[in-house]
Amino acid sequence: MRSSGAIAAQPSGLADGRPRHRIELRAVSSGYHGKRVLEDVSFVIEDPSIYVVLGPNGAGKTTLFRTIAGILEPYSGTVTIDGLDIGRHEARTRLQYLSHIDGIPDGLRVEEALRFYATVQGATDREVDKVVRLLGIEELRDRYFSVLSQGQKKRVSIARVFFHERGIYLLDEPTSNLDPKLAREIRDLVLALSKDDLVLYSSHNLFEAKEIGKYVLALRGGKIGYFGLLSELRPSRYVIGIRADGAEGLLPSSSKKGDYYLQELAGPQDVPKLVEELIAKGIRIREVKEMENPLEDLFS
Amino acid sequence: MREPSGAGPDDRVPSLAWTTIRRTFAIGWRYLAIGTALSLILALALLGSARHGTAFVTTFPLEVPLFAVLGSMGGLMTFTSDRTKGVFEYLIAYGIRSRTLFIDGLVSTAAMVAIILGLSLAVGLGAAGADRVALNENLWKSLSLYTVPMSFAGALFTAAVGMIWSSVSTPRTGINSPIGIAPMVGIAPTVLVLIVAESVPFSEFYYVTAGSAGAIVAAVVGLLAVSARLMGRERFLSPL
Repeated sequence: MRSSGAIAAQPSGLADGRPRHRIELRAVSSGYHGKRVLEDVSFVIEDPSIYVVLGPNGAGKTTLFRTIAGILEPYSGTVTIDGLDIGRHEARTRLQYLSHIDGIPDGLRVEEALRFYATVQGATDREVDKVVRLLGIEELRDRYFSVLSQGQKKRVSIARVFFHERGIYLLDEPTSNLDPKLAREIRDLVLALSKDDLVLYSSHNLFEAKEIGKYVLALRGGKIGYFGLLSELRPSRYVIGIRADGAEGLLPSSSKKGDYYLQELAGPQDVPKLVEELIAKGIRIREVKEMENPLEDLFS
Repeated sequence: MREPSGAGPDDRVPSLAWTTIRRTFAIGWRYLAIGTALSLILALALLGSARHGTAFVTTFPLEVPLFAVLGSMGGLMTFTSDRTKGVFEYLIAYGIRSRTLFIDGLVSTAAMVAIILGLSLAVGLGAAGADRVALNENLWKSLSLYTVPMSFAGALFTAAVGMIWSSVSTPRTGINSPIGIAPMVGIAPTVLVLIVAESVPFSEFYYVTAGSAGAIVAAVVGLLAVSARLMGRERFLSPL
């Protein structure tokens, strides 16, 4: 595992002609009221992909997002967006930030809340209408935000992020506190809208992270614990689960988890050999799957 | 070197002052209604009293600033609500300076004061005129050199203290929160100025009141300028 570092330099433009964006942090320390939460964090991100930011509570995920978004001023170090200091207006107009908090002003209807944020962003009525249609929240326009369900609130909250095409999206736990079905719906929606952009996406859900992320940026104690391709991440133990008929007595039932018999192997290369051996013993294998999520190691 | 909090991205972010005023009206309309109603009731009660002419001319200008402070609480309520709800987090991300957040709070407070004063003075003076009360020079002096300036000064002082206080404290609700205590703090200058003014010769009375109002407004501006510069942006974030 790489303890910290940068993704290798990429070509300066995308195949479709859109500008390539770049986030660079150099020796950034940041936090609250003088207490450092992030300590000497450096990385460069420029491959337009989904970067899942992981870490246990208090690791500094939200602080990292707030620092990149220019909400928190670093105690030391620099944050640049496309080479521009985040303190500059031009830098901020290149990214969109979604907090884990709704941030919708009190006492406003959905329409008014969206217009409020449209005013701040300089978005037109047409752009607001377009996003309202995209997110399917037309019927909520005249309702007060405070009376909406969690899922509806999340949709409205997300809407403001897509008024303008920005190219960089900082999404801090967009699916937190949602039930699994709604979380998937919101996740799919967000990812469809930010397709081909540079997305930093924080989550506590390791399976979600594994499903959507190309890169992983794991924070531990305010420092980068791992930054690299998710595909390069290997669990410390390689455990597979085998769902099979006729395995009683042939596979140890003590290691059974639900319908799956667990087998620890040296690595994926040993799976075909094991499967052949089990078939030779007359076991009818219905399914073989990896049971350990390599991302779990990042939390330990 | 650390950038001052008051600084930030440049000024190409649209002003939210008008939007904030409208939202303040929506959030603080009850206070606005109560402040205005009390001042109107006072005016009518004074005009209905036995010494209605003298009572109105001497008492009405002195009481209106108290109701202006009370009625303009919507500005502070909007500021505190936005901070707690995480609105400021987004606004700062979009490039709005912390100084602007304070200024918008003051502007919306001043707008509420203007509404209360406009209604109170129009109705109060109209009723007094209809009641054939002599609207003499002293009344106009009181209104222009005490009532109007102290209404704005007292309300802005309340808002400034409340905004700074709520920014440096964990949000609480109810009467024991900055919002609950701020009106009492805000009324203090208007009363103190009267006490001081009463201790000087009458010829200097209005110099003291108008001068004090000016000094309070200057103090408010200075206080907020220093706070916006010294206060870290994390002070504006929701603790949720």
